[in-house]
Amino acid sequence: MNGIRNFFTFTGKELLELRRSGRLLVFLIIFVLFGIMNPAVAKLTPWLYESMAESLEASGLTVTEYNVTAMDSWVQFFKNMPMAMLVVLLIFGGIFTSEYAKGTLIPLLSKGLRRNAVNAAKTFTMLLVWSVGYWMSYAITYYYTDYYWDNSVVKHYAFAAFGLWLFGALLLCCISFFSSFAGSTAQVLLGVGAVYIALNLLLMVGTVREYLPSFLTQSGDLLTGQAQPSDYFTALLVAAVASVALLIASVPITAKRRV
Amino acid sequence: MTNVLEISGLRKRFGSKQVLSDVTLSVPESCVFGFVGRNGAGKTTTMKSIIGLLKPDGGEISICGEKVTFGGTKTNRFIGYLPDVPEFYGYMTAREYLSLCGRVARMKPSEIKDRTDELLELVGLADEKHRVKGYSRGMKQRLGIAQALINRPKLLICDEPTSALDPVGRREILDILKDAGKQTSVFFSTHILTDVERICDRVAFLEGGRIVLCGDIDEIRKKRADTAVEVLPESPSDAALLAEQFPSGKVTDGCFVLKSASQQDAEELMQFILERHLSVIRFERREPDLENMFMEVIGE
Repeated sequence: MNGIRNFFTFTGKELLELRRSGRLLVFLIIFVLFGIMNPAVAKLTPWLYESMAESLEASGLTVTEYNVTAMDSWVQFFKNMPMAMLVVLLIFGGIFTSEYAKGTLIPLLSKGLRRNAVNAAKTFTMLLVWSVGYWMSYAITYYYTDYYWDNSVVKHYAFAAFGLWLFGALLLCCISFFSSFAGSTAQVLLGVGAVYIALNLLLMVGTVREYLPSFLTQSGDLLTGQAQPSDYFTALLVAAVASVALLIASVPITAKRRV
Repeated sequence: MTNVLEISGLRKRFGSKQVLSDVTLSVPESCVFGFVGRNGAGKTTTMKSIIGLLKPDGGEISICGEKVTFGGTKTNRFIGYLPDVPEFYGYMTAREYLSLCGRVARMKPSEIKDRTDELLELVGLADEKHRVKGYSRGMKQRLGIAQALINRPKLLICDEPTSALDPVGRREILDILKDAGKQTSVFFSTHILTDVERICDRVAFLEGGRIVLCGDIDEIRKKRADTAVEVLPESPSDAALLAEQFPSGKVTDGCFVLKSASQQDAEELMQFILERHLSVIRFERREPDLENMFMEVIGE
């Protein structure tokens, strides 16, 4: 029971910190901006082609009329959201280590705050921001795209969006895990970066492809209907299990950490 | 009377450096206890072990009869801790921070409010509306004491609470600690001996990883009654004359000092001065102070 009370108390502190440090505003702006950008870029594509038509013609390319559909908007979504993810990872990279470095946890730990509660509250806060922000972007993209075009021509976009969201959640769990022993924010980000790069390089190995959480970011075929959600189930399962395993593994390591 | 804190045979090594080799001490109830040692003597290491933030290599610590375990926080309900350089969340006000501490310490909301008002008054931050990030060192130290006292601990542990402060701030903190000592035991580390003399009942000297001297301040003083008599004659030749008569004494800067002088020694010295009609500017009996004792026990 005490652990749960500690969790709520500390989550409250994390949310206050997000608001007062101005990070909440940054997240809000980024996710709204990214949400609007996807349909906006799609909408502007014909106009862009038109304005470049002359120079393209000069280089030998003839531009025929470009027909924009909902597909262009969703392709933008899956191209842009990894960038939003990167911003979230960079901002949250120091969520643990900055407290360890400054020693702000010491007075609270000496009052009986449980380390597990700190881990849980910080991980929850990261996932909360990522989830609310991500699905807000999704909703904005969805409604604008449906308003201008027709979402029904795009296949499985909700499932594909879920996959990308889960991949982001996995990387946030990596922050919790690396923070349980890393000495600095740079080390945490290096660890998360290494995981990200390794997972993406492994995508080139055909045989393991569908087991990799990073496979969830390869949603092009899903949108056109060439791939089915069932092709991604293994990757989903691996990502979910890995996230939980990372969180569980960080508990005993944090408990032994010198504060 | 039970002991609030008991440490026996505490050992801790960092890499090749043996910081604590055998620390044994006890702090009784309602007592202000000075924990003295040089910089790097292992005071902070000892304190962090008491709170369970560090894992000792050996030895035992118990608080109010309960054993302290590393990483566990059960015994911390008896403790209030002020770290050497306390850092708080800069975006909170003092009141918000104390309320957070109260909730972590599992206090009732009404209790938190009353205690917060009381403590802010005690540490002189009641009228401070700003957020903590604008606080001076002294203000942070005072907020640190307030947060340490919020759950009415049986033992208040302060790690060098006065070291970084100006004389005014130091006096304020000492007064607060002395006040706090009426309700709870205070265990504070320092290397400033006048602070210890001002507010402590008991003292322990930490040197070379072990406690070299520990006990009631007045008793220690009595035991080591190294009273010296100092005579400053008007003419330097008289000082030499005194040194001739009392070979155990020494002349420094024209001043004759007789160390470890008993009452009888002092009387004889005075007798001699009267007989020879020596003109004296100052005749003084010096009480032993902690600084001399400290220097003596650490062998310098």
